[in-house]
Amino acid sequence: MKIGEVLRKVFLVDLLKGMAVTFRHQHPKEVVTEQYPLQRPDVAERFRGMPKLLKTEDGKDLCTACGACALVCPEKLIKVGSVRDPETKKKILTDFDFDIGRCLFCGLCEEACPPECLDLTQTYEIGLYSREGTVLNRQQLEDGVPRKVYEK
Amino acid sequence: MSDEPFYESLEEVEPGKTFLDSREMVLNMGPQHPSTHGVLRVVLKLDGEKVNGLECIVGYLHRGIEKLGENRTWINYAPFVDRLDYTAAISNNLGYCLAVEKLMGLEIPKRAQHLRVILTELCRLAAHQLWLGTHVLDVGAVTPLFYAFRDRETILDVFEKYCGARLTTHSFRIGGCRWDAYEGFSQHVLKVCDDLETKLRDYADLITGNRIWKQRTKGVGKLTAEDCINYAITGPVLRASGVKWDVRKAQPYCSYDEFDFDIPIGTEGDTYDRYLVRVAEMRQSIRIVRQATEGLAEGPIMARVAKVLRPPPGEAYVSIEAPKGELGYFVVSDGSPSAYRVRVRPPSFIHLQALEKMCKGGLVADVVANIGTLDIVLGEVDR
Amino acid sequence: MNGFLQYLSSNVTPGEAGNLPWVVIYVLLIFTGISIGVIFMNWFERKVMARMQVRLGPMRVGPLGMLQPVADAIKLLLKEDLVPEKADRLVFWFAPVWVTMTAFTSFIVVPFGRTHAVTDMNIGVLFMLGVSSLGVLGVIMAGWASNSNYSLMGSLRSGAQMVSYEIAMSLAVISAVLMTSRGTGTGTLSMIGIVEAQMQQQTWFAFSLFPVGLIALVIFSISMVAETNRAPFDLPEAESELVAGFMTEYSGFRWSLFFLAEYAAMMAVSAIATTLWLGGWLRPFPNLLSGPAWDTAFSLVPGLTFLALGGLCFWAYRGMPRIALRNEARGLAGFGAFLAGVGLLMLLPGIRMRVQDIFWFILKIGFFMYLYVWYRTTFPRYRFDQLMRLGWKVLLPISLAVVIVSAFIGVRHELVALFWR
Repeated sequence: MKIGEVLRKVFLVDLLKGMAVTFRHQHPKEVVTEQYPLQRPDVAERFRGMPKLLKTEDGKDLCTACGACALVCPEKLIKVGSVRDPETKKKILTDFDFDIGRCLFCGLCEEACPPECLDLTQTYEIGLYSREGTVLNRQQLEDGVPRKVYEK
Repeated sequence: MSDEPFYESLEEVEPGKTFLDSREMVLNMGPQHPSTHGVLRVVLKLDGEKVNGLECIVGYLHRGIEKLGENRTWINYAPFVDRLDYTAAISNNLGYCLAVEKLMGLEIPKRAQHLRVILTELCRLAAHQLWLGTHVLDVGAVTPLFYAFRDRETILDVFEKYCGARLTTHSFRIGGCRWDAYEGFSQHVLKVCDDLETKLRDYADLITGNRIWKQRTKGVGKLTAEDCINYAITGPVLRASGVKWDVRKAQPYCSYDEFDFDIPIGTEGDTYDRYLVRVAEMRQSIRIVRQATEGLAEGPIMARVAKVLRPPPGEAYVSIEAPKGELGYFVVSDGSPSAYRVRVRPPSFIHLQALEKMCKGGLVADVVANIGTLDIVLGEVDR
Repeated sequence: MNGFLQYLSSNVTPGEAGNLPWVVIYVLLIFTGISIGVIFMNWFERKVMARMQVRLGPMRVGPLGMLQPVADAIKLLLKEDLVPEKADRLVFWFAPVWVTMTAFTSFIVVPFGRTHAVTDMNIGVLFMLGVSSLGVLGVIMAGWASNSNYSLMGSLRSGAQMVSYEIAMSLAVISAVLMTSRGTGTGTLSMIGIVEAQMQQQTWFAFSLFPVGLIALVIFSISMVAETNRAPFDLPEAESELVAGFMTEYSGFRWSLFFLAEYAAMMAVSAIATTLWLGGWLRPFPNLLSGPAWDTAFSLVPGLTFLALGGLCFWAYRGMPRIALRNEARGLAGFGAFLAGVGLLMLLPGIRMRVQDIFWFILKIGFFMYLYVWYRTTFPRYRFDQLMRLGWKVLLPISLAVVIVSAFIGVRHELVALFWR
């Protein structure tokens, strides 16, 4: 063995180098923790979170009740109810059930929607205390989930 | 496999003998254990501390993913494939899309191929970072886990900005990519590469040169090249034993032949070499990502495909170089919108065969290191 | 009462003075001090480990997580007390008691200052080493009484490890004790005597006979980590191993006694290391920077340190979100005020002279505690056979060589006189 190697072994150089790495990481700027309720992360624009039914600016439904989202969903958890308007022969949306308990958040429904009104928003705080609230109805989907401000 | 049970009750074998008289003890490293990387059950036959025999019992995470393919359409099924090797969802997605595209004979635009390469290599980096953190944690060092996950977070930020999810990404579609590169994609990705290269030096100081690490991993879990080929082992485990086989170079797919990268090879085939091979692979992945980002082609990102896919009847097999090994997809179509059969060749399941050979004759404390070095993910093993 | 207060102006320990009331007071003070030390170590370890792992550590329970050890203690006290069915009840009860007793008893001779020890035995170091070796018996009792195969294996491995590394430890201690005789010609095993020998030889033993003292210190600091079953030698109690160690069957208060004993043993061996090699209660540079001016300057350091700590608390208080964490912020400000008050108290001349020895001693023990946490964060674990090989085949020969060399250098004048008349 070469003399350099022997000296490095005897003086525990490799162990000291490792200790230097951990020592260096103690600097406060290295901390990556986000303290959750006080600091909430901002997620990307394309984030697939809580679904929401969008409306036009006037408040009219964008949804044409075509049922493309229900067809494409891997879990078959969207149920679109509609009636046909006798004059215009177009479908009008009556109810829309979305079972968020079984949702994969895959984004296929968002992709398949022709008028682009089913949007997976950036809300990620959708926890519930019981299973009853997992099936969202049309009203909940249109209102969305308000973002809670943390209070002590 | 013989018909006799692997372990029997001691009273049946040697009546009258007490537990301490016997030489062999059966130890069950049960499904719930901090180090089995999921719900893996390992039954060990021990003589003191020496391992005489080992049996893996899998199936605790079986979710019927292959069967689900027969009840979903080709497009619907893609989110489920993410859940196989859940540490590297993008690779699984790529394999499935390539298999169906081969079945349909589709030509993918160049820009889509480059985007796929960038994301897949970033995914390889993320999966190797996770492997690094958990493997080193099993052997005893607690800090590299946090450094690895911190670095993995920077990559997951790219995924989040690109496709909206961090873990089960569902990023590609059959025919190309659904999303184009977002605003500032190239700068973000290049910055991630630069940061990662600096951080990889920390691991060299903290782990690679450390004498305790070397003592724990050198000579442990040796697999010769012949063993690997006999057991159908692929991926970094095979390369660490000295066989120069990488699917990206041997059977290039998805424009990998346009990029210039090396294949790191080991010599001994022990745990230390597998560690070195994976770390070197990380550096090569960074090289590929840089080349692909700087040479990102222009053009469409999706080929023309119908809304309801009906591939012509037939079968196709595509294998890709996933972070864990060679991941293969065998798809059979009978002309309908649903698959007739989807079969996944999971690298982790096949690697588990070699666990007995690696652990036999070694000590109990090395079993955990061996499971970690094979880099198994139970989602893939049990599907 | 007069005799009681008269002791305050003496310059010997209460044990030497034969002053029973003060002995009792010192014993209670040491007991309280060790307990506070263990509580502080719990918080300190979690915070330092977290910072080295780029995260924050406990932050929610009190301001900056300072009440976390209290919460842990309450949780442990409220846990169900499980005794395995076929366990040996008496031994099961006795094992944690034994371990705690030996860990605390060894603190009788630890000198925090010239007069700040319970007593000064003339076999002080030997007493400390002997009593901490008795702790091994408690470990084995715990494994045996649990009536569980894996606990027994774990405790036997633990016991074997502790015994193996005690030899290297003791040899390193012998080499330090040999060095006490360099000035006067007679050595001493008494802890206070060793520190006074360092004072008289005008150098800490870590730097005397360079590099022999330093090598002995390094050997001791590696052996003491193995002796107390801490990383990188913590295979018997590692979480990711199969054999979960002798503490598996213990829950609640019994486990907390083991925990207390482990940290107290860590502090005890750190105290030995401090006394033998780092000059005990002596302030830094007692000879290079000597004289009454420097003495006064150094004696101001404890008070100023506490004032600085109080200032740090206030600075952190300013950075805290005041509305969401109202009570934590007030608690932190209050704690900062308390520390600053203690600091001001320590600047008073009468108290200053007495307290500074204790401060330097505790600072040096704190350095070794930091080393413990640093080792745990950085290194992977040794496998058991590698651990034993290290103890017997590496550390034992080196420490034997160190003893021989320090003995040889000590008697070289006599040898020269003998052979080259």
